[in-house]
Amino acid sequence: MTLLLDIVTTAAILFIVSAGLLAIFGVLEIVNFAHGAWLTVGAYCAVVTGGLGLNPWLALPLAFVAGAVLGGVTERLIVRPLYARPLDAILATWGLGIVIGQLITLWFGRDVQFTENLLSGTIHVLGISYSLYRIFALAAALVIGLGFAFLLEGTRLGLSARAIIMNEPLARALGLDTTRIRLFTFMIGTGLTALAGVLLTPLTSVDPTMGVSWLIGSFMLVMVAGSSFGALAIACLVFGGAQVLVSTFISPILGGITVAVLSALVLRISSKGFARA
Amino acid sequence: MPDTLAASLPRNAAVRRRVLLLGLLALVALALVIFGPLVLSRFSINVLTRSMIYAILAITVDLLWGFTGILTFGQAAFFGVGAYATAMLLTHIGSSPSLMALALLLAILVPIVLGVIVGWLSFYYGSTPIYATVISLVFPIVVTQLIYSGGTLTGSSSGMVGYFGLPFGLEGFFRLSGISLVIVALGALIFVRSDSGRILTAIRDNETRCAYLGLNTQRIKILLTAVLAGVAGLAGFLYANASGVVAPENTSFVFGTELVVWTALGGRGTILGPVLGTIGIDYLSASLSGELPFLWQLVVGALFVVMIIFLPNGLAALVTRLTRRGRGEVVAGAGPELVPQPPRSHAAPSDAPLLSIDKLEKSYGSQKVLTDITLDVAPGELVSLVGPNGAGKTTMMRCLTDGKESSGGVVRIAGKSIAGMVPNQIVALGVGRKFQVASVFESLTVAECLRMSRAALEAPSIVTASDRLSLPPAAIEILQLTGLDKLLTAEVSLLSHGQKQSLELAMVVALEPRMILLDEPTAGLTKAERTTIGTILKKLTNELGFAAILVEHDLDFVRDISSRIVVLHQGRLVLDGSVEEVVNSDIVKTIYSGGDHV
Repeated sequence: MTLLLDIVTTAAILFIVSAGLLAIFGVLEIVNFAHGAWLTVGAYCAVVTGGLGLNPWLALPLAFVAGAVLGGVTERLIVRPLYARPLDAILATWGLGIVIGQLITLWFGRDVQFTENLLSGTIHVLGISYSLYRIFALAAALVIGLGFAFLLEGTRLGLSARAIIMNEPLARALGLDTTRIRLFTFMIGTGLTALAGVLLTPLTSVDPTMGVSWLIGSFMLVMVAGSSFGALAIACLVFGGAQVLVSTFISPILGGITVAVLSALVLRISSKGFARA
Repeated sequence: MPDTLAASLPRNAAVRRRVLLLGLLALVALALVIFGPLVLSRFSINVLTRSMIYAILAITVDLLWGFTGILTFGQAAFFGVGAYATAMLLTHIGSSPSLMALALLLAILVPIVLGVIVGWLSFYYGSTPIYATVISLVFPIVVTQLIYSGGTLTGSSSGMVGYFGLPFGLEGFFRLSGISLVIVALGALIFVRSDSGRILTAIRDNETRCAYLGLNTQRIKILLTAVLAGVAGLAGFLYANASGVVAPENTSFVFGTELVVWTALGGRGTILGPVLGTIGIDYLSASLSGELPFLWQLVVGALFVVMIIFLPNGLAALVTRLTRRGRGEVVAGAGPELVPQPPRSHAAPSDAPLLSIDKLEKSYGSQKVLTDITLDVAPGELVSLVGPNGAGKTTMMRCLTDGKESSGGVVRIAGKSIAGMVPNQIVALGVGRKFQVASVFESLTVAECLRMSRAALEAPSIVTASDRLSLPPAAIEILQLTGLDKLLTAEVSLLSHGQKQSLELAMVVALEPRMILLDEPTAGLTKAERTTIGTILKKLTNELGFAAILVEHDLDFVRDISSRIVVLHQGRLVLDGSVEEVVNSDIVKTIYSGGDHV
């Protein structure tokens, strides 16, 4: 039973962490390799909130705004010139990640920081007691997933974004301001990633390099998922599940590479990954 | 100035000058690494030894990424495997001279084997560049995690230390690393300018064209990955000996990204740029990290971002831009000598027709693009494929040159079914394809493009750039008719649209195919250029016995040169007959709405 909950909540956490990257890759076809840096930025927003003695929940909106603003600047200055050179965009955003990491180090030092728990304690679910926070993460993943579904299906921005995914030249010819839509998409993606950084704080230690370890996993999941949130959810469940099983029954170290290896194999067999699901 | 001088000299003198320059450079570099320890401080010797080993890795990254266009983060892992193979052998078994030799062998062979596996995973028909990058990320992560979970065998997270390496001392290792670097750099510089080395750039420019020149680009890339994995392993062997310690960080993808950063800052695609970039940055990092550890990395990171956006070819590009101003003009003359090549005899002609299409079908989902196409083409025929836009003409061309395209029916070339074959295998059967938009290699010269056409037939040298260019007489004639024979050393990106079309035709003819497929070869050409191409095509089919299939909209042109016309309409073959029959038929007039268009 615990195993089942572990699988579901691990998948939820993976989903939360990858959603922002997917939003950007799905619409802009750019891999934001500074993804890890935004997670870190979000986590440090939680540190700042704690340092100011504010309610820890305030870190969530703060992180979203900080992430989105930083994302807007990044899109304008770094990503926009590189839409035609996707491999160079990977490199430039990786460089940006280094810069952000070093700025955080200069400001906060390289030590591990502690944040106030958003939710502590356990809850009785299905006859066992389980970490309340992990259950909350599951709910958060559902909210984010449904929120994106609404954003894509139910709003004008979502419609425009889908138009860009399908046929960008046509979208532009029809008068859509694709430049602005790209900017907004990037901002939403980075805002969401920073938010995910806050949500990670109770589960992982906070230090300037914390993002890197999450980057590869979410990158691989997004490669497999293509541009579909549904596919991302499935990928998180399948590979997250595999990760939990390998960690539990074989070795936690090998569990750490399960997602990456399985994703690579899936892509080798079918270059579209789960995107057709 | 020196460059204009070189261009006016006879070609072999320019070659001699280059050999001299390289030799001189190598001698200076060797002198530096041999006498360097006499003047350098202990600290500098230590750091520079490491930097020079890293520079060897940067060269491998440059060959893969700068020259071939494969962005890789995985070279660190091959390096780490080489280093660990050495350290594990020396720790667990011992260090006699013969074991040391074995360590060297393993440090090179194990990465090569892994390189073949990684290459096989990364490069297959239809794989994307980003997928290869993904694999290059996963591979070091897997290696690092395996080392972490290796217990005492690999030293886990604390790495391995305290084994006995080569008995060289500080200065000895400095010289050994330096000499290795000079050898690797010299080898790389010679290779990239050789006829084989230009294939890497051709793949970067236009991999599809390479495949349609009969080159197995996947195999070339796998081979390159494997060889460079071996070089990285050698660097790992040097590192394990010189530093006396190996750690999991040596294999990590973060180190892999650092290598890419150094290569980018030095200047991708220049060999020397990445070498200097790596040594410079790594040395500065070590010197400055004591005082300004984070600020320094911040500066490197920021510089990297700025460079990628504004100066993607790195500092070396800036230097060459300053020293070689004005090189962008079309430089005529002084190219390789054109040598007519005796015609290649194709495999014994069988009784089967040259091309036989039987009930060919192509559909995208429920959308049928081609239905029930049946057609035979014999040598010497010039068949024009006409029909309105969307009739399926280009799709049909694709189905004839890529065995994975069709959804039904059989295409046979000289009796052999092409089902499942990839383009380069079909080229080997004697099919050449000219694309609608001229598909050539923008950063090669005209002569180098033509040499690519021959690369699959006769393996080019990996050391020298030949001063002869053997081509079939028909290809030489195309060059002479279009004036390209005087532009052999011109860079293709500087040619006009018409010249590129002619060049591509010459490249396809240089393949000595039995059948040529041409997709709108005259689109966008002047009247004179059209006439030239028409003359060439007639000669190829009438006198030389080629078969040609031509997709064309210009019906006047079609009427002039065709021996037979096939009409496609809505994915079906509606008419197949002589020029007279087709041009005067009612169907054609109806299809081309307006009726009197023909």
